[in-house]
Order: sequence, then C-alpha cells, then structure tokens
Amino acid sequence: MKNTNNKTPAQPTAQQPQLPQGFSTESLKTIAVVAVLFLAFTNWDAVVAIMINLMVLIYGLVGNNFGLAIILFTILIRVVTWPLNAQQMKGATAMQELQTDKEWLAIQKKYEKDREKLAQEQMRIYRERGINPFGSCLPTLIQFPILFALIPSITYAIGSTPLSLLKLSRSLYEFQNAATLIPLNSKFLWMDLGLPERTLLLGFSIPVLALIVGLTTYVQTKLTMPPSANPNDQAAQTSKMMAVYMPVMLFFFSLNYASGLAVYFITSNILAIAQYALMGKVNWRNLLPGGQKK
Amino acid sequence: MLLAAVLLSGCVGSTAWPGLSATNEVAYLANTSAVHAIDLKSGKELWSFTGEKSGGLALFGGSPKIFVSTPVVTEDGLVIVLDSGNKQTMYAVDPNDIIDESPKIVWKFSDVDSHWIAAPLIIGNHLFAPNSDGNIYVLDLHDGKSEKQAIKVIEPFKDIAGQPGRLWSQPVTDGRYIFVTSLDHSIFAIDLETYRIVWHEDLSGAIPGSVVLGSDGMLYVGSLANQLEKFDPATGNHEPVLDTNGWIWGTPVADGDNIYFSDVDGYFYSYNTKTSELNWEPIKPDSAITASPLLHAGGVLLVTESGNVYFVDEAGSMTLWHESTDGKAYTTPVSAGGYVLVSYIESDYYLIALDDEGDQKWTFPAGK
Repeated sequence: MKNTNNKTPAQPTAQQPQLPQGFSTESLKTIAVVAVLFLAFTNWDAVVAIMINLMVLIYGLVGNNFGLAIILFTILIRVVTWPLNAQQMKGATAMQELQTDKEWLAIQKKYEKDREKLAQEQMRIYRERGINPFGSCLPTLIQFPILFALIPSITYAIGSTPLSLLKLSRSLYEFQNAATLIPLNSKFLWMDLGLPERTLLLGFSIPVLALIVGLTTYVQTKLTMPPSANPNDQAAQTSKMMAVYMPVMLFFFSLNYASGLAVYFITSNILAIAQYALMGKVNWRNLLPGGQKK
Repeated sequence: MLLAAVLLSGCVGSTAWPGLSATNEVAYLANTSAVHAIDLKSGKELWSFTGEKSGGLALFGGSPKIFVSTPVVTEDGLVIVLDSGNKQTMYAVDPNDIIDESPKIVWKFSDVDSHWIAAPLIIGNHLFAPNSDGNIYVLDLHDGKSEKQAIKVIEPFKDIAGQPGRLWSQPVTDGRYIFVTSLDHSIFAIDLETYRIVWHEDLSGAIPGSVVLGSDGMLYVGSLANQLEKFDPATGNHEPVLDTNGWIWGTPVADGDNIYFSDVDGYFYSYNTKTSELNWEPIKPDSAITASPLLHAGGVLLVTESGNVYFVDEAGSMTLWHESTDGKAYTTPVSAGGYVLVSYIESDYYLIALDDEGDQKWTFPAGK
C-alpha cells in the first residue's frame, strides 16, 4: 500500500550516538517529560516563586503597573511554550488526518474483531508515518505545571488578603526588596485587579471583563477546533461540548475572582488565536452558524 | 487545559485566615464562607450568618461571600460582620432575633470601593470602619448610616498615582485621637472631635497590624521593614527602637513596661520601654508568627503557623503548651469564658477551646 506521507522513520547512522537497546527517541522524550513533571510537582512552591518573581520584575520594569505585568508575563509564557504548542498542534493535525486516511480506515474494518492485531497495525502505521500517538499529549502535559502555577502566582502577587500577601512575601527573592515593594499597585485601567470587576452602566452593575473572558474563550475554542470528518464522532462531540462549557466555566470563574485572573484569561485567549493564525491553523468557518459542515 | 488549570489551581490552599472574637458566652468566628456564633460552654453552633440571600440577579450580583474580618459586638448586643466578597457589605445582625438559624439583619452598609479586612472600632454610638479603599467610614451604630463624609486618610501613594492605601488593621484610640495604620507604609492620627487628620507619618514598610499604647505613653507599631517603631501620639515624632529578623505582622501587646511582639521569621521579642532594651534574647518556637501574643497567667501565649501554642513566662522561659495535630494557625488567639480559643485553617476543625492547662476541651465542628 502506498505511503501517502512518504515519511520513513529516521535511521541511526554510524556517526549518531546509539540509544540503549529497547529505547527509542520517543520513549526518552516521554521519560524526560515525566521527569520534568515530577520535578515541578515536588517543588511546587519553587515553580510558583519563579513565576511570581518574574511577574514582579516585569511589574517594576513597566512602572509599577500590575495589569501590564500580567499581560507581558502571559506573552512571555506563550513565547516560551511556543515550540510545545506548535508540536502539540502538529501532532493533533497528524492524528486528525489519519482519521480520514484510506489505509487507516481499512485496517479498522479489517481487524475490527481482533484488537491485538489492530493495535499492531496501528503501531506500524504510526512508525511508517513518523507519527507519535502521544505527540499532542506530551507537550500539553509539560505545560500543565506552568498553567497550574500561573493562577496562584497571580493571586498571591496581587496580595488582596493577608494570607496571599504573606505567601507573596515568602516567594519574593531577596533582591526584590519586598519591604519597599509591598503593596503592589493593583489598579489597572478602571479596575482593582485584586477584586472581581463590575462596571456601572445605565445603573446596572455589569461584569464587563467576565463577559469578555467568556466571549474570547468561545471564539478561541471555536477557531482552533479542527474540522472533523465525521461531526458525530466522539472527538467532534467533545469539542462541541468544550466550546460551550469552557466559556461558561471561565465566565463564572472571572465573575467571582480577582479581575487580574480575567486579564490573564483574555490575554491568553487572544494570544492562542494569534498563534493558531500565524501557523495557518485557524478555522474561521467555525465562527459561522453551521460552519463545521463541509 | 485552561479549564483543568483553573480547577486544579483551586487546590493551592486557602487565601485568607479567619477573624475571631468572643464575649464571655459566645465565640464569633468569621471563617470565609460564614460567620459562626459558637456557645463557649458546649462548643455547639448557636447560629451562622452567610450574608443576604441573593436575589434573581445573582448571576451578576455576587457570590462568593468572604467573611474574614474579626466580628465586633456592640454594647446593644448587635454583631457587626463584614463581607469581603463581591458585595463588600457590612452587616449589623441581631443574635436575639434568629430566623432560620440565622440572625436578622438590622442594617447594612456597602457604599465602599473595596473590600473589608480590618475590624471596625466602636466609640460611643459611632463605628469607625477602615476599608481597603483607603477610607475610614464613620457610621451611626443604630442605623448604619454615614453620619459624616467618610474620612479619606490616605494620600495617593507616592510613586503610584491614584493607588488607594489599604487599611487592614483595626484603629486604636487614646480617647482623643484614633490611630490608623496602612499597608502604604503610613500611620495617621485623626482627631475624634473634628475627624481631621492631625498628623501623618511614613515608615519604611507596610503596616498590617495596629499600634499599641505603651506604659510610657508612646505608641508602638511594627512594620514589614523589620522594625519596631515608637511614636509620640501627640506629634507623630517617631524613631525606630528595634530591628527584627523578619516582618512584624501582628499588633504588639503591652503589659506593664513590656511590649511583646513577634515576626514572620518565627521570633518572639520582649522589649522593655523603661530600659529601651530587650528583656531577653528573642525566642524562636518553631515557625512563623503572624498572630499577636495573648497575655495569660503572668506570661504570654504564642500561636505559631504550625498551630502549636507556646507559653513564655516573664523570664523568657518557653514551654509547649498545646501541640497541634492538624492545620495552620495565623489568627490572634482569644481568651474568653475560661478558655483560650485558637482558630485554624487547612484543618478538620476551625476552632478549638483550650483550658488553663492547654488541654483541648472542644473543637468546632465537634467530633473530628
């Protein structure tokens, strides 16, 4: 059968270092990811402290503006994780394309009742095409500690309660000179970043920022949703549900928590759309009603 | 992934510690989601208050409720509780009028721009309530209405235009002035007759605790600049009296000529105002101390972050008075009804009552 991708796995040459028997490059990558995750979660406070100190450094550089610091910090995180995101997108696209591949569909049908043989054949195709079935998962996993640490970092840095201020003080490195730095200026535009945002419009208290979070999350989820060959398959259904639940969840979260977090969500959403657009992966049709239908 | 991050980041722990006060019969614990009134004899809950029920527009309105400020009891028996959640509302509730296990709201006040952390100070029929927006709101105790324009005590933060000074500590009065400290490194004296600022001084660091009046007639206050300072209450003239190892968080306590205070590096100090020297070398129990010391049986009780309670006698000898089995403690302990009350976070119980020997008599909630 013809290999549509014309890809063959890279063969080690005499000049390249040999991996121990039984180890592949992919398994080494997996071990590296697991090791990084283990180190991050066993040194959680250190991860949070690094982020807080970076944010506070940026805060000082931009004239004691914490809103700008959050935005620039989010951009920095996006830039740092760009290769991981790109790899994740590439892996997801490859897996998506495989779902419509003739050979892939043929083996699904042929070995429908022999799971073991089916698994062997699937692995063969992965090998032949140079696809790592976990190619989209590993970069995602490695980003988890960064994202998990971001929210407490912002919460502590704003320091709107005694305990968060205490946690901030413990996280700041000595060179930051905490005594003169604290309290950080939490005012940004019309908001206090330590409080949930409300804007008085025509006598009504409107959560403008939370609404923008909901809207940008919806747009981001829709735009970055890959087209599905079969809109009724499980993956497509999950994507559809996510497009509804994610914006609603983040809307309510932003409604009730410090607006500094909402600033982060909005920036992150806009940057995600920009990154997908730069890589040519944005699916503008998804924004239109019935846009997923081909 | 973002969603998972949001959900999992909720596991990082608490962001506030409880406010605790007590009369001879009842303890009041502002424990984030509710204020609990607890019978001191039995440890049973008498009532709890979770704020006003949300109306139809709850979507935009405002949960969650966050009660962290220390509740205050008025002479009339009203309990003043403060919600630091979205509604930023101060309530006066009547514990003698219970409806559905919750006290009736007598009045409420929410005309503020930020959240409540500090406990209000009651003087006569007036309530002086500092807010994180930099104002002290002066209210009539009977109806919660603002009698005069709120006193704006904080000038714009020097380096940050428009940044309000956060007032996180209960004001203190000497009968003539009230003294207010701010996270913006400032301390103010306000005339009780005119409500005008008499003097205003800056320190090198934020001041999360209140001042204490020493037997020498001077005010003592600690700051995040690792210093204890003393002030002349009439003029505001001040000088540092002691450098500490870490930030001074809690309000110092005066006992005769001694000023007791602690720092977040875990050291406990006893400063003599007469000799202007430490009575003994600082003591380090086991972990950070944010709670103020509690005078007890001729000595002092210290609650550390680890939850342990230590007794330090006048000579500076320390013993472990109560060993904690769970949780962390940051709140200043309270002595009432023959018990010492200690509140915890990240624990199965929010409050424990200890007898004179440091033995646990009850926990709230019970049976854990």
